Amino acid sequence: MSDTTAEAAPLVTTAPAPGGAESFTDRLRRPRTYAVLIASVLLLALPFYLDRFWLQAGLFAMAAAIGAIGLNMLTGATGQLSMGHAFFLAVGAYSYCILAGESSTENGHALTGLGLPTWLAAILAVLLAGAAGGVFSPIAGRLRGAYLGIATLALIFIGQHILFNAGSLTGGYNGRAVPPLSLFGFTFDDTEVVVAAVPFGSSEKLWYVGLVALLLAALFARGVLRGRPGRAMNAIRDHRIAAGVMGVPVARYRAGVFVLSSMYAGLAGVLLALVFQRTVPEYFGMILSLEYLAMIVIGGLGSVAGAVVGAFFVSLLPQVLTHYSDSLPLVSAPGTGGLAPGEASRYLYGAAVVAVVLFLPGGLARLGIALPRVTRPKKSGEK
Amino acid sequence: MKTAPAPGTGTDNTTAALTVTDVTVRFAGLTALDGVSFTVEPGSVHAVIGPNGAGKSTCFNVLSGVYRASAGTVHLGTTELTGLAPHTIAGLGVARTFQNLALPPHATVADSLLLGRHRLTRSGFIATGLRLPSAAREEKRHLDRVREIAEFIGLEKALERPAGSLPYGQQKLVELGRALCMEPRVLLLDEPIAGMTADERRRTASVVANVRDSLGISIVLVEHDMGVVMRLADAVTVLDFGRRIAGGTPAEVQNDPAVVQAYLGAPE
Repeated sequence: MSDTTAEAAPLVTTAPAPGGAESFTDRLRRPRTYAVLIASVLLLALPFYLDRFWLQAGLFAMAAAIGAIGLNMLTGATGQLSMGHAFFLAVGAYSYCILAGESSTENGHALTGLGLPTWLAAILAVLLAGAAGGVFSPIAGRLRGAYLGIATLALIFIGQHILFNAGSLTGGYNGRAVPPLSLFGFTFDDTEVVVAAVPFGSSEKLWYVGLVALLLAALFARGVLRGRPGRAMNAIRDHRIAAGVMGVPVARYRAGVFVLSSMYAGLAGVLLALVFQRTVPEYFGMILSLEYLAMIVIGGLGSVAGAVVGAFFVSLLPQVLTHYSDSLPLVSAPGTGGLAPGEASRYLYGAAVVAVVLFLPGGLARLGIALPRVTRPKKSGEK
Repeated sequence: MKTAPAPGTGTDNTTAALTVTDVTVRFAGLTALDGVSFTVEPGSVHAVIGPNGAGKSTCFNVLSGVYRASAGTVHLGTTELTGLAPHTIAGLGVARTFQNLALPPHATVADSLLLGRHRLTRSGFIATGLRLPSAAREEKRHLDRVREIAEFIGLEKALERPAGSLPYGQQKLVELGRALCMEPRVLLLDEPIAGMTADERRRTASVVANVRDSLGISIVLVEHDMGVVMRLADAVTVLDFGRRIAGGTPAEVQNDPAVVQAYLGAPE
């Protein structure tokens, strides 16, 4: 790290940016580059070593991370509270099922399905979630902060009502099966494909879909947050009146971010549906919205890294506690009385929210970012 | 002294008079401004002064569209500003600073200044999210201009620092710089030198004078420091209890009995 701080000093001056070749060698010298490299190799190799339980947990966390990135753009970066994130997750998940599924009869419900190609259904589901956000955006543009949070609560109740009662679309209480994704003739289902002597089921295959989706979602969000829209969003959060006076159309930006965050939720919903292989209405309730808020608070408000860290923390914690419930004190196996792992994890991340708010206002991501931050002044040279 | 850098091409910099006609603002029974009229000549510094609570900040809020006037009109050239949204008024070239700082504390000075370029840039969610080359080019071009302006206000060394880590006076300078980054036709400065050290006051006053002289921007100035007002202003409007009680050149206003009375109280 010492060489990077020494180099940082001359770059603060407005010297012209060095050529691309130099910045490449610069990058080779940064420890962060190697950390990213090792992490990506690890992530790519994991399906060869982990069993289905952990892969599912990981996929679940990836989907949550995508949703949390969307919520963090809305709540963390723009200061607009949303309690309705679960609604847009549901729109994404169910739209995918309806668009991709075939018409059939399941548990006494005649289910409607359009039977579209699954990749097209996935894209349309994300757009539909965005459209649902767009329908709500006149309200989202006009209400600020906590008031929007209260208004979006209504979405949860409307959503739950529809999910339970529109039986021919949603399958009612029992939900409906999720058609497996297929891309370029390759189907991400449970038919086993053996890769390097490891049998690949749906979790192994979906793992890579999840990685790509999360990576693209994170890069897109980072571009937005670091660019012109991100500055406008932060200005709305920090000084709403000043933002307007600086030429930022506040209502239009709030509405735009709301639509974008709904699309992220929609994508997360599609991925969740694919992992679960069944969508059930109960899941998309208020608790889910609160969990997403917990993710971004614990991870760190306003940043992509914060959303990802928080999503992994909140969604992996119950899984870890369930898996090791035998060996953990106080936590008992589910259904045996005593403190169930689900409850224990809820207490734990409740405590984590309080601890983060009190002692770590930047969230968990701050801990990891503290070191690479030293290299930040270099950015001026790269621009 | 450094001269102000000329703005980039593509900005509408024709000067126009800012005309305030009979503006009245009422808040639930309180009349904050009562039939105030004045005209800011193109390319001049027009000071609005008055005791605390005279309605100076309300006046600014009407000019920038934050408050809506109950009656009366504001025109920039021939365009009526009354009733327009703040961002539309900003889009017409009216920039302002705030009496109390309105800077995001964690954003770098460069980011704060780039926010001032918002109305002059176009990249949206899709262009920045997909990192289209057009967005990168635009960012680079405007960052160059931001550096020029930072140099002009003497903050080129602080560009990468969080705005909140600078001393108060320099933060006010960043705000002034941010307003300048909008390439405005009219600049509204709400107590730009309050809370500054003597050195910062001198520098800010020279920046303001320089902006008028080399860029021809009209400036409306609310300030309590009479020395600075008298030195910089071409014209002065005096408000008291929401009414315009005097106006004219600094020298005329200084000797106006109504002004003396407003500041020092009525003679026994």
